[in-house]
Amino acid sequence: MTKARPITAIALLVMFAITPLLITPVGAQQLSDRAKHIGGKFMCMCGCSQVLTECNHVGCTTSASMLKELNVALAQGDSEDAITQMFVQEFGTKVYAEPPKSGFSLVAWVLPSAYLFLGTGVVIFVIFRWRKQAAQATGPASRAPGISPEQLERARAQVSRETED
Amino acid sequence: MDVFGSFALVLAFICAVYAFGGGIAAIVTRHPLLIKSARQAGIATCVLIFLATFSLEYLFFSDNFSAAYVVSHSNRDLSTFYKIAALWSGQEGSLLFWSFLLAIYVFSVLVTYRNKNGELMPYVGVVLAGVQIFFLTLNNFVESPFKALASPGADGVMHLVARTDGNGLTPLLQYPEMVIHPPNLYSGYTGFTIPFAFALGALLARYPGEKWIHLTRKWTMIAWMFQSMGILLGAHWAYAVLGWGGYWGWDPVENASLLPWLSGTAFLHSVMMQEKRGMMKVWNVWLVFITFLLCILGTFLTRSGVVSSVHAFANSAIGNWFVGFIGIILLVCFGAYFKNRDYLKSENQLDSIVSRESSFLFNNLILLVACVAVLSGTLFPVFSEWFTGNRISVGAPFFNKVNIPIGLLLLFLTGVGPLLAWRKTSTESLKRNFGWPLGIGVAAGAIAFAFGFRQLYSWVCLILCVFVASTVLLEFYRGAKVIRARSGAWFVASALELTMRNTRRYGGYIVHMGMVFVFIGLAGAAFNRDVQKDMRQGDSLKIGPYTLVLQGFDTKPEKNYTAQRLLVEVLQDNKPTMMLYPEKRRFTTTEENGTMVAIRSTLQEDLYVVFAGTSPDTGLPVLHAYLNPLVKWIWLGGVVVVFGTLVALLPNRRAVLVLSGAQQPAAAAQPLAHGLAPTVTMREGHD
Repeated sequence: MTKARPITAIALLVMFAITPLLITPVGAQQLSDRAKHIGGKFMCMCGCSQVLTECNHVGCTTSASMLKELNVALAQGDSEDAITQMFVQEFGTKVYAEPPKSGFSLVAWVLPSAYLFLGTGVVIFVIFRWRKQAAQATGPASRAPGISPEQLERARAQVSRETED
Repeated sequence: MDVFGSFALVLAFICAVYAFGGGIAAIVTRHPLLIKSARQAGIATCVLIFLATFSLEYLFFSDNFSAAYVVSHSNRDLSTFYKIAALWSGQEGSLLFWSFLLAIYVFSVLVTYRNKNGELMPYVGVVLAGVQIFFLTLNNFVESPFKALASPGADGVMHLVARTDGNGLTPLLQYPEMVIHPPNLYSGYTGFTIPFAFALGALLARYPGEKWIHLTRKWTMIAWMFQSMGILLGAHWAYAVLGWGGYWGWDPVENASLLPWLSGTAFLHSVMMQEKRGMMKVWNVWLVFITFLLCILGTFLTRSGVVSSVHAFANSAIGNWFVGFIGIILLVCFGAYFKNRDYLKSENQLDSIVSRESSFLFNNLILLVACVAVLSGTLFPVFSEWFTGNRISVGAPFFNKVNIPIGLLLLFLTGVGPLLAWRKTSTESLKRNFGWPLGIGVAAGAIAFAFGFRQLYSWVCLILCVFVASTVLLEFYRGAKVIRARSGAWFVASALELTMRNTRRYGGYIVHMGMVFVFIGLAGAAFNRDVQKDMRQGDSLKIGPYTLVLQGFDTKPEKNYTAQRLLVEVLQDNKPTMMLYPEKRRFTTTEENGTMVAIRSTLQEDLYVVFAGTSPDTGLPVLHAYLNPLVKWIWLGGVVVVFGTLVALLPNRRAVLVLSGAQQPAAAAQPLAHGLAPTVTMREGHD
């Protein structure tokens, strides 16, 4: 037990010492990851219509300089809001990669949901209307005399089976 | 030859005008000679367009630099392969190429149906001629590819200029994918003109029955197939060449190609409702109108400069022409619809919500919501500028947030729809068809979750992919089992027989399986990683299980460019695996740069390595490495989609009548064709 304590202490110290070698430098990686995360919220202003971190314009110098500005701002400890303001002041609102969720821009976000709800409403309305027409068509007057609903259903099932594609 | 080509285009325009006017006169008078002459004028239009196109290509191959277009897009050092592509590399040539591909379709239709469908074809011919007139107007009077190279002299008069060499082809187009991507995509765009012409023609002619759909089904599938190939080839080009690690950036021009694909897919599905149940006639007609309009809108967005894109041609006044054409099409479509809407009376009845009819309705809903969402996102910058004076960008983050949930809904319907019965699906049928696939899908999700799969959308996508794949495989299994039981053939042969008896259905299932593969590939994007480093010779960079060691650097001069290559050794788990050679290219004539990505691609992941230039701080080459899981599934899925479409285009093998109810040995089965009155009506096989 007496010998185990120093050995354990040394092992712990060694593990502590080499941990930075085993784990990716968190500080530098976070800056890089953070730069990517924030950079993904802006457009490259070279006219490629791509996000800043994914500009596909071969040899683009605009994205390089914008990313440099971003890295400098992050190194200075600027917040995401401050960086956003910096780019908007420099390039205008078209630097946003997605429309802000306020003012007129909110329309862009609302429209897809509006289409979906409206479309679903129309489809449901159409389905119920068609079902009503079907019910009217298979009412008592439309059945051939002497055929019960069960026979009709059996016949329909047989037709479905035999004509299924 | 430029004079010849120019003359051919003018003649083509005149023939198209005759085909249009003469066709209308033929419809009114019903004179057989007029009908024939209008049709022949239509065929002559196509032949003249072919001649004009070949003339332009001849100018490229003969290095004739008296034509301004050839000077702008070619040079003596350009390889023959890229001289073909130079035809569509600029505005004027690509418009002529559009006319050329449209002419191929029109020629095929006019010749195929020259002695058939006499009541309908004159109307179809008039519509096709009308569309050709528009594009020939652009070819002749707005963006002529045969303009002579000239410049103003000191006297202010234009003088012809003699050049011994040209400016060369844009570097971005000097890649094999760029030779095949535009022809495929344009074949899709132009191909949708055919179902449009038949739909409008049938409406104007009040053509009875659903025959126009049977006639156009194959043309629609061919156009859809080319559109799919064009989209995927473009994505592959962006992935392999542009070096940003992705394949789809929701660029306005990319979106423009997706829009008619979405509405065309909706049409291919909803058209079955009309065929089987006589339902949704109005909807189908408008769906094909919308698909054609979206094709025109797509090319308008690419050429007009309304939206900015790296894919777009230079700004020009051509946009106004397209706006005018879209206006005319809308007027004609609305006019034809309101005049003849009673002809489109449908037998709209639905017995149950749980039916294939309902699933097609929801399928159409989701596809159209996606289409409208992409369209409004693409045009939002324009609208925001109109309304507020500020242009607001709409980039990939918006489209991903909106379209990923829609895509997952669509994937779900892909599995559910085909297994619901027409009219009504019983509870037993639901349990039989969905029990196993649902169970397998949920099990796959549970296993993935247990192994640390935590990205929500990717996880849901995985479950749905397994669910859909299971439904498709189960369908093949059940059908093949029945055939095997009757014929004793091997399982694979039975599955093949099953497919050939109903190519449309089982070809469709193969297409669905291809889409599953594509979604698997898309799901992998959530796990992409990348790392970038300035590298000295001997330096290494680690990403995932790979270590990349920069062994050297060399320069490779080619005919048209000089490539600077990094020699990168790839070690996997510390074992040498291969060498990769990412390049930066400097094109001689234009002094522009290009990239060539080096990719190690497996089904599990792509190791994607880019020579990202030289660091301004260190002067060292910068290596950017990505690890992109599952990307190869997207391209594989594309191949499966195309294969499935080709299968669906095949005619059915002649079906054998099997008497219902009794257990009949195989020898008692009678072929339908021999006059035996069928007790079962076969609904497939007519064309």
